Amino acid sequence: MEMQVNGNKSGYVPQPGDFTFLPDRDIATDKNFASISYWKGVAIHFFKDKKAVIGLIIIVAIILLSIFGPMINSYGYRDIVSFRNENNKKVVAKGIAPRIPALHQMLTGESYEDDFADLTFLFGTDDLGRDLWTRTWYGARVSLIIAFVTIFIDMLIGMSYGLISGYFGGVTDQIMQRFVEIANSVPRLVIVSVLAIFMPKGMGLVIVALLLTEWIGMSKIARAEMLKTKEQEYVLASRTLGARNGHIIFKQILPNTIGPIITQVMFSIPTAIFTEAFLSFVGVGIALPQCSVGTLIEDGFNNITTLPYQILPPILVLALLMLGFNFIGDGLREALAPKLEDM
Amino acid sequence: MKKILSLILAAVMLMSVVSFASAEDAYLGVMLSSNVMSLDTNLATDGDSFEVIADCIDGLTQMDDEGAAIPALAESYDLSDDGLTYTFHLRDAKWTNGAAVTANDFVFAWRRIAKEAGEYAYMLDEIGNIKGAAAIIHDGADPETLAVKAEDDKTFVVELEVPVSFFPSLMYFPTFYPINEEFYNSVGEAYGTSPETFLSNGAFTLEAYTPGAASFSVKKNADYWDAENVKLAGINYQVVGSSDNALTAFRSGTLDIVMINGSQVDAAKKDADLSSKLTVTGAGYMWYLSFSQTEKNADNGALANANLRLAISNAIDRDNLVDNYVMDGSLATYTAVPPQFAASATTGEDFSADQTRFADYVGFNPDKAAEYLAAAQEELGREEFTFTMIYGSNEGDEVAKVAQAIKEDVEDLLPGVTINLQSMTKTERLDKMQNDNYDIALTRWGPDYADPMTYLGMWITNNSNNYGFWSNAEYDQLIADCTTGAYITDYDARWEAMLQAETLVMQEAVIAPLYTKANANLISEGVEGVAFHPVALNRVYKNATK
Amino acid sequence: MTKYILKRVGMALLTLLIITFLLFLLVRIMPGNPFPSERMSADQIANKRAEMGLDNPILVQFVDYIRKLLLEGDFGNGTSLYYGVPINTVLSSCMSNSFRIGGLAILIGTALGLILGITAALHKGKFLDGFCTVLSIIGVCVPSYVFLIFLQYYFSFKIPFFPYFFDAKRFLFSSIIPSLSLSLFTLSTIARFTRNEMVEVMDSDYVRLAESKGLYGNSLVRRHVLRNALIPIVTVLAPLIVDLLTGALVVEKIYGINGIGKLMVDAITGEGIDYNYVLALGILYSTLYIGIMLVVDILYGILDPRIRVQGKAGDA
Repeated sequence: MEMQVNGNKSGYVPQPGDFTFLPDRDIATDKNFASISYWKGVAIHFFKDKKAVIGLIIIVAIILLSIFGPMINSYGYRDIVSFRNENNKKVVAKGIAPRIPALHQMLTGESYEDDFADLTFLFGTDDLGRDLWTRTWYGARVSLIIAFVTIFIDMLIGMSYGLISGYFGGVTDQIMQRFVEIANSVPRLVIVSVLAIFMPKGMGLVIVALLLTEWIGMSKIARAEMLKTKEQEYVLASRTLGARNGHIIFKQILPNTIGPIITQVMFSIPTAIFTEAFLSFVGVGIALPQCSVGTLIEDGFNNITTLPYQILPPILVLALLMLGFNFIGDGLREALAPKLEDM
Repeated sequence: MKKILSLILAAVMLMSVVSFASAEDAYLGVMLSSNVMSLDTNLATDGDSFEVIADCIDGLTQMDDEGAAIPALAESYDLSDDGLTYTFHLRDAKWTNGAAVTANDFVFAWRRIAKEAGEYAYMLDEIGNIKGAAAIIHDGADPETLAVKAEDDKTFVVELEVPVSFFPSLMYFPTFYPINEEFYNSVGEAYGTSPETFLSNGAFTLEAYTPGAASFSVKKNADYWDAENVKLAGINYQVVGSSDNALTAFRSGTLDIVMINGSQVDAAKKDADLSSKLTVTGAGYMWYLSFSQTEKNADNGALANANLRLAISNAIDRDNLVDNYVMDGSLATYTAVPPQFAASATTGEDFSADQTRFADYVGFNPDKAAEYLAAAQEELGREEFTFTMIYGSNEGDEVAKVAQAIKEDVEDLLPGVTINLQSMTKTERLDKMQNDNYDIALTRWGPDYADPMTYLGMWITNNSNNYGFWSNAEYDQLIADCTTGAYITDYDARWEAMLQAETLVMQEAVIAPLYTKANANLISEGVEGVAFHPVALNRVYKNATK
Repeated sequence: MTKYILKRVGMALLTLLIITFLLFLLVRIMPGNPFPSERMSADQIANKRAEMGLDNPILVQFVDYIRKLLLEGDFGNGTSLYYGVPINTVLSSCMSNSFRIGGLAILIGTALGLILGITAALHKGKFLDGFCTVLSIIGVCVPSYVFLIFLQYYFSFKIPFFPYFFDAKRFLFSSIIPSLSLSLFTLSTIARFTRNEMVEVMDSDYVRLAESKGLYGNSLVRRHVLRNALIPIVTVLAPLIVDLLTGALVVEKIYGINGIGKLMVDAITGEGIDYNYVLALGILYSTLYIGIMLVVDILYGILDPRIRVQGKAGDA
């Protein structure tokens, strides 16, 4: 029909019936993907990625171990393995390297020759005589809760803050950034000590303390991403079409800035875990004999020359957590903001 | 690029070769566990500072290897018949700027201490009982009223309020060291902050030092009055903040004397070479539990009940603490005054030699603990008690372990008693104790002078270190008799009275003594003659050789 | 642009004043005590407090403090840390150590991090990429002091090449071990961000356009990819710089470095809380942080002209 219109160069007078909308044709939807919702697409994409699935398995395994790990042996996280000898002196199973007596017997044909020869300690015992397997998974539980809660809230606060600050720019941005500087400049130790006057010490305080400062890094990244993306064509297009600010920030720009934000989230995890250990050290964190991955690493470090195996399990847990999150992060980024080539 | 790299590499290698060649062999490498806070006798409060000050400045007396006072700047002294006036006769000694050490240097230094009224000013009034000191320190009287005078350049006279039997041995404490007035006035506030602003008259003189330095050195003072007996060329001090690092630093040969923690002692003992170099010395201070007895604390004042305190004290296995967790040779302690720092001048017997004197009140005794607990539960009319135990996170590697072991022991043997642990910095712990805002505290006290009174003086009513707010009229009377009353001229009677006073403290478990700290030192082969002391000066190097 | 910078500097100074006041208030309500003496009586402590002016109204104290600081550049004296010594003396030696070691760590970390990140991005999905991922994860998971212990054990003890403790007289030589161990966190973070940013930028339309125009290899990476990928990296780098310059507590403790990190913790957890040190260090930290953020903002303008335009718009 168009050909006819264009082809006809003689004095044709347009008629009202020349152009009509076709009935029921949704031109905005790509037919190939029409039946799949956005999130379903993300899921499909994510599970097709082998690395992402491995990451997910690692994280799920650590979560399961942190719940059920302490149950597979009879030691509690605070139980000191000991007995009294004939002189009524306490003999404590401290500083024992990882051991499985049965396996040792099988491999070397010998059995251990100390007072705790028959006991199995998968990760060994610490310098107080407590089973490190139990403590590692107990600590992982504590650290995971702290890390997840703080990072989730930080992400919400930091991301919104940074995106809004970057999007509006100008005076809004100036004021918001000065506030960040103020919030970031008071030493954490000072803030936490003051907080501890008003709040009971423990996990709650640790989470609040982490919340107070950790969102800043996230907001910086989000702001930088916003500054980079907000002038791009699709944003301009949306604005021209009359989309509201909220819609542009959270529906259009956010998914496209997800990559660096996920990287930042990942790097926040060890920071959260180490900060928590530092807070426990200065007395605002969780109280002994409870433990976390951070305090376990610190204990291990304190004994690194005498009991070098002690630092390995918590560091491995942390590294695996990181690896898992890293793979998941990569997978999520690709899945959330698919590039052309992947379609 | 390659050229630059190889040049850098060559330069680096050269630097290292040069540095190894210039290492001074006769310098002793010594580890300090914390930074030196001040070289000013008025401001110094920590053992490390005292040690370095004593390297460089002599007092009227010096410590011999057993901790007794031997003549130093004072060749001799006379004591008046009433025991109230000491006359010290000074020897010819010089400051490093050439000025002679005179009696006026002591007058100036002591008056300054009284005037500034710092941390250790109490050595002048409460301990030394020097006439006029209390009025200056607490009521701002004129420093000139301190009863010390320079009769002439070489004669220094001190008047006391009451006879103080151990006065000569106080004189080796740095608070009583001299300062040259003219020099002090010429450098003013900067005194003691660099080799240029510090004057020595002792065995060593400051070579390189800045406040807060992690490493610094002192070198032999050629003008020292006893220079011929000083064998070391100098001492290199190195602050080692992480004790785990001390062992490797020692093995690398960087340091000759290091202090290692309990787990390293365990490891060192298994090594034939290291175990031969291990020397355990008394650190003096005693760790103990302080119980708050006031109504507002400790689960509605439950710890005001003596039976409950006794129950806790009898549930703690102190052997377990020292054998399994402290491990550095510290001694399990069952007396309110720790052993090995105060011996009787007449019999020579250690005040706390008998650690079983109070076996009825303190010790690891599960049956007794249960009995005491039952009695307490009946008296208080309830079964369960929850307390928070505070301890310092920066007071040594073993403290957290000890706290956890105590929690396990108590909760295990005393059903119904729960102890929650709370770590904090030392300053916060002290703050809480001073404001009586705690239940149980894991705390320590080190002797300032070699007399049991340095401990017993703490538990009199309203003493600022009586953190439990215990009060006992009989005890107060006994202590008053020993310090200012009936027994001050009768040495043996005073000694007896102090033993009696200690019994009162233990019977009611005002505190639960835990252990007397020791230091496990590794000392290089060939290093001899370093004197270790639990009181006043931890290490004295005057006779050391390398 | 000049007007914009001037305005930003003014704002920064105002922020600094607010921070100082906040710190001033917070430090005074911290638990603990500037004179936690076990040997002084209550009247002695009261006298010391009065001497320090701690009994004056807080605003008077604040004004006094600011006046002294601005007119004489004097942070006062330590009260419980290195008693009686002017803070400026201690601070300057600690600063010079921390700045130089931290500076070296930043140089090493950033340079190696960029190289590693770019290499990984250019080999996306291949072995080098995986290697970079694992390396950066190790670098972030293992605390720097563990690296330090390791390096110190092998290169100062087993092979006694480097000095066992820090020695200010042989500055460069003895800072290699601490700088290397400190740089690993920066290295890992930078490598990771660079890689991810690069990958994203390389997928973008304008790089595709450049490619289709026939650009490839080095000049493509340099002219189109790097410039755009660097912007968020500057954001990540800025706080890392501040952290490294202001010292690392444990590393300083182990290697015997007289630095700022240890000073801060000593000021808070030592014998007593040293108000003056906490304030001085807080101000130092804020100044650094605000200063570096200012530089970053200005750098943005240089790296990305679109923001410069924005800045002007906001300015107007």
